[in-house]
Amino acid sequence: MDQKHASSPLAGAVHDLATEVVLALRSGDHLATVCGAAGIDEENRTGIAAVRVIGADLLLPSVLYGRHPHPGDVAVLDRAVREFPPKPDAPAATAWSHWHMISTLQRMAPPAPGATAPGTYAEPDAAWLEEAPWQAFTHQLSVLAPLAVPAAPSAVQRAAANRAVDLSRGFVRAVRRRDWLQAAGAGRWLAATGGEPATLGLDRGLDFVELMGGHDPRVTLHVRAARLMAEARAR
Amino acid sequence: MTTTATQDPQGRPGAGADPEGRRSWERAPGAALAVLPGVLSSALAWTDAHRTRFALPDDVLEPHTQVNATLKPLGELAQLGSTIRRTTAPGTPEHERAGDLVAYAWEQVHEGALLLELLRAEPFAAYPYEIYAAFAGYGLRHEGFEALARPLTATRAWAHTEQHANRQLGLINSERRVGVVTHTDAGGVLSRTWLGGLSEPWMFEGPSGYALTHTVFHLTDWGRMPDRVPEKIDGYLRTWLPAWADGCLESGQWDLTGELLAVAASLPGPAPAELLDAVWPVLADVQHPTGCVPETGVPVQDPAPDPYPFIDCYHSTLVTAFAAALSLRSLRGNGERGETGGAAPGRERHTP
Repeated sequence: MDQKHASSPLAGAVHDLATEVVLALRSGDHLATVCGAAGIDEENRTGIAAVRVIGADLLLPSVLYGRHPHPGDVAVLDRAVREFPPKPDAPAATAWSHWHMISTLQRMAPPAPGATAPGTYAEPDAAWLEEAPWQAFTHQLSVLAPLAVPAAPSAVQRAAANRAVDLSRGFVRAVRRRDWLQAAGAGRWLAATGGEPATLGLDRGLDFVELMGGHDPRVTLHVRAARLMAEARAR
Repeated sequence: MTTTATQDPQGRPGAGADPEGRRSWERAPGAALAVLPGVLSSALAWTDAHRTRFALPDDVLEPHTQVNATLKPLGELAQLGSTIRRTTAPGTPEHERAGDLVAYAWEQVHEGALLLELLRAEPFAAYPYEIYAAFAGYGLRHEGFEALARPLTATRAWAHTEQHANRQLGLINSERRVGVVTHTDAGGVLSRTWLGGLSEPWMFEGPSGYALTHTVFHLTDWGRMPDRVPEKIDGYLRTWLPAWADGCLESGQWDLTGELLAVAASLPGPAPAELLDAVWPVLADVQHPTGCVPETGVPVQDPAPDPYPFIDCYHSTLVTAFAAALSLRSLRGNGERGETGGAAPGRERHTP
């Protein structure tokens, strides 16, 4: 496990997983196994916890390239969903992330007949997002950046589409704060939903965010996802 | 005059800690109007109480005298004071006080005679003309100054003075005020400014911020002519001012915050009320009980009469008064200034 940049074993595992997702996004290789490359299997508890952090982005290369995910990755994501259900009083972002992991599994890897699905989980509430000031809105959306994928409608995605100008302001604010992860997450949402003001200069802004903050593979992950979605939108 | 207020050279807020939500961002309609009258009157009261600090020394024309500590503050007093005077209603204490301050500044330049001396000492410099224009725009004129300035400002050299685009807009505005033919078209100069280029908003920082605010001040004659702001710049500013003002508040750039508020209140059409309601209460909290506002940094809690050196707070205090007067006009005059129509007036169009 590469822990050069990590402050804990969990942070190291998150770093490794994000790095492997980025590599798979770059190569477009549908045979790649993200968890296998990161040295994580179903029995690795720290690794499973790291998958809970990365969330449905574990399957992002398959989602964006429209290919079947590697069974090993599906198994680990399934395990993370079962082992880390949100507590009843969990923050809304945790509930949304959990919901999205389940819906991504159902969409990308429906359980074989006879197998048990991870169970259903009602779509959480997003009314609080509609009301949030633009700064807090962008912060929350950035945390929920894994939900910014094509063909995965959710109340969060509708909120993002409805508040593109607020999200763009949040992108500007995050760059000014040198909060590259938040900027990358906000930029990913804008690339997914569109509607940003023309003067934002999102493409160059994402280049800048990646070059300044790309030492964190989670930043690169979001920027790469944004580019792939922007390219798909342009086609 | 162009301000060069002190600021973090990188315009960079404190990195590291990430206190999301450390401030309340709740919307509070009417919050600006609740604090603005008090902010304006106390900033003016502080300025009035410190008017002698703007007084010019006897050796003001000597080469060793620091212009930035003498003529620049006085010119700003005249400029911002005259704008406040014209923005406030006759008969109000603020209107009277602002008028007194301009009269005081005019007295300090010996009703223009001292500016003529300055021009004779530096005939090829632009700043004597710019200071004079602050008075001339208000109707305070000196025949001898204009007699000497007239041929100088008609030269090729004057028309080709090398300076930043936003400063050149300032010169054009000065020419308008004095009433001479402008040396070039404002539109072409505007397009060369950071603002006129509709620059990527995430590249905003202190220096570009001051360039932007002064572009708007010169374009609109310090907020007097909002309709001179082209539609696309209006939309651009309405879209991005909230993000920039938020950053200035977070990094304690109170002077630039005040200038951005003045810009917001200089836009044509309806007041950007949400922005004014979000930012004014914060700036009001920064204002010292005596009325002064520090340029940057953590506000002191000391109730003593002079918590900051004059040079570190006079400009931000004047700017606060100026921005407050414009904001009051903008918020109160919504109906009179007319709706431009549409659900989100002026807001920038989205990418297709």
